[in-house]
Amino acid sequence: MTDLRWLTATEIGAAYASRQLSPVELVQALLTEIGARNADCGAFIRVDEEGALAAARHAEADIMSGRTLGPLHGVPLGAKDNIDIAGQPTTCHSKILLDNVAHQDAAAIANLRATGAIMLGKQSLHEFAFGGPSKELPFPFARHPWNTDYHPGGSSSGSGVALAAGFVPLSLGTDAGGSIRNPAGNCGVVGLKPTYDLVSRRGVFPVAFTLDHVGPMARSVADVALMLDALVGSRRERSYGAELDRGVRGLRIGFVRQWHETDMVADPEVAAALDEVERVLRREGAEVRTIPLPRLQELAAVQRIILLAETWAVHAKWLRERPQDYSLPCRRKVMPGAFLSAGDYINAQQWRARMIDAVDDALGEVDVLLTASGMDPPFRIDDGPGLAGTYPRQGRSPFNLTGHPAIAMQSGLSKVSGLPLSVQFVGRAYDEATLLRVAAAYERVTQWSKQRPPMSKNSFRRGHAAATA
Amino acid sequence: MPPPNKGLDIDTAATARAAGLDKAVAEFPDCVADAARAAALDLADMPAIDGSTEPWPAMRIRSRR
Repeated sequence: MTDLRWLTATEIGAAYASRQLSPVELVQALLTEIGARNADCGAFIRVDEEGALAAARHAEADIMSGRTLGPLHGVPLGAKDNIDIAGQPTTCHSKILLDNVAHQDAAAIANLRATGAIMLGKQSLHEFAFGGPSKELPFPFARHPWNTDYHPGGSSSGSGVALAAGFVPLSLGTDAGGSIRNPAGNCGVVGLKPTYDLVSRRGVFPVAFTLDHVGPMARSVADVALMLDALVGSRRERSYGAELDRGVRGLRIGFVRQWHETDMVADPEVAAALDEVERVLRREGAEVRTIPLPRLQELAAVQRIILLAETWAVHAKWLRERPQDYSLPCRRKVMPGAFLSAGDYINAQQWRARMIDAVDDALGEVDVLLTASGMDPPFRIDDGPGLAGTYPRQGRSPFNLTGHPAIAMQSGLSKVSGLPLSVQFVGRAYDEATLLRVAAAYERVTQWSKQRPPMSKNSFRRGHAAATA
Repeated sequence: MPPPNKGLDIDTAATARAAGLDKAVAEFPDCVADAARAAALDLADMPAIDGSTEPWPAMRIRSRR
């Protein structure tokens, strides 16, 4: 048997079916790995050893007696700690919700459990999925598993780190402005923000009601498709992975060059990697053409106004009564909504309708869009100003505004830091199957998803750079 | 009412207090000032719009998800 840390969910299912591996054996191995290395990278803030082992024994008995619930039966996963798991605290990595024990599973967790998936624990995040790395929080912040001096991206930081560190084959994240896709791209894994409301948000602590998405993160596109099947459950018409092997021949890809070439000039390594993505897709038979979208700054500003107004509605009571219980980065980010008017919010919603139309029009001409995800490679975690500067330099938040499905994955390696660079593909609303088809074709050629952290053979480096806040 | 903190201009402090942020104005004036600046920058980047023009924001009559 190969190293259990790097098995995909697809491989785990096959190994269970052929009796080469048991759920108990796998869960024990992953718990041991987490116990040995989590302190270095901060992926998990709580691990449910007892519950996971009990579920693994149950799954093992079922599988051995031929009762299989589906491809995720006995597959362990972690969930971002703003998602309810019955009986466990949902802290949102905050002081404020330290004692907030969930009474029932979030709908997404219930759907995953219904397919036999095993909940291993809760993963770290930016405070309320909105702040940033901070020493003021009750749990350590996550660090990049390839180099712990670097920021893994956020806000689903622990979910991306846990995958890249070999702690879990699957993670469940949330995304109001790129929070699944940023850590996925930074950590060299795959993260999908599905179409708005395709996956239920019930039982997930809100960032912004009309921007929030729940979605799968994994080390392969096939696993993202498997997990999406489970998350959507019986409402889906067919498997989202049905077209993964079809390749891109005949598909039309719209390359949104303007965003990273003129609107927000990207780091040269990021831009070069995007050009290489274009070459790969052309070589595989796709027709790639340049396509314009509204100016990135305008899309981002409209998304920000809506985000800040809705976030203020969530946090106003606590900001008035106990502002000291937020970390500095979160307090600073959550408070601007107090300075927006109702008219500002409504005007932003009016712009939103036009921007949805603009993206729909573009996707009337092509099947999938190719855009920059982040404009910069991962930053050092102790570079506060640099880090703050990278947050707005991205092309992810426009698709929270418009609701279109978007996937981020690795597009190369930075020669400067040795860390992953990322690309984003965007599909038509509810056409995740075509989006995943393009991502799978790109993954098959480039094999970036086979990259592993250089330190994974031993342990993470000690003696971290410190966060600035 | 206490005077505005010296890091905050009078208008920003007044808006913050109107939003109920008296405690933050007293204890975290820099955060309040940063927040006001951040909101202004985002508003400046949002293109102007005539609020009367269609399409208007949607309203969905079915409230249960």
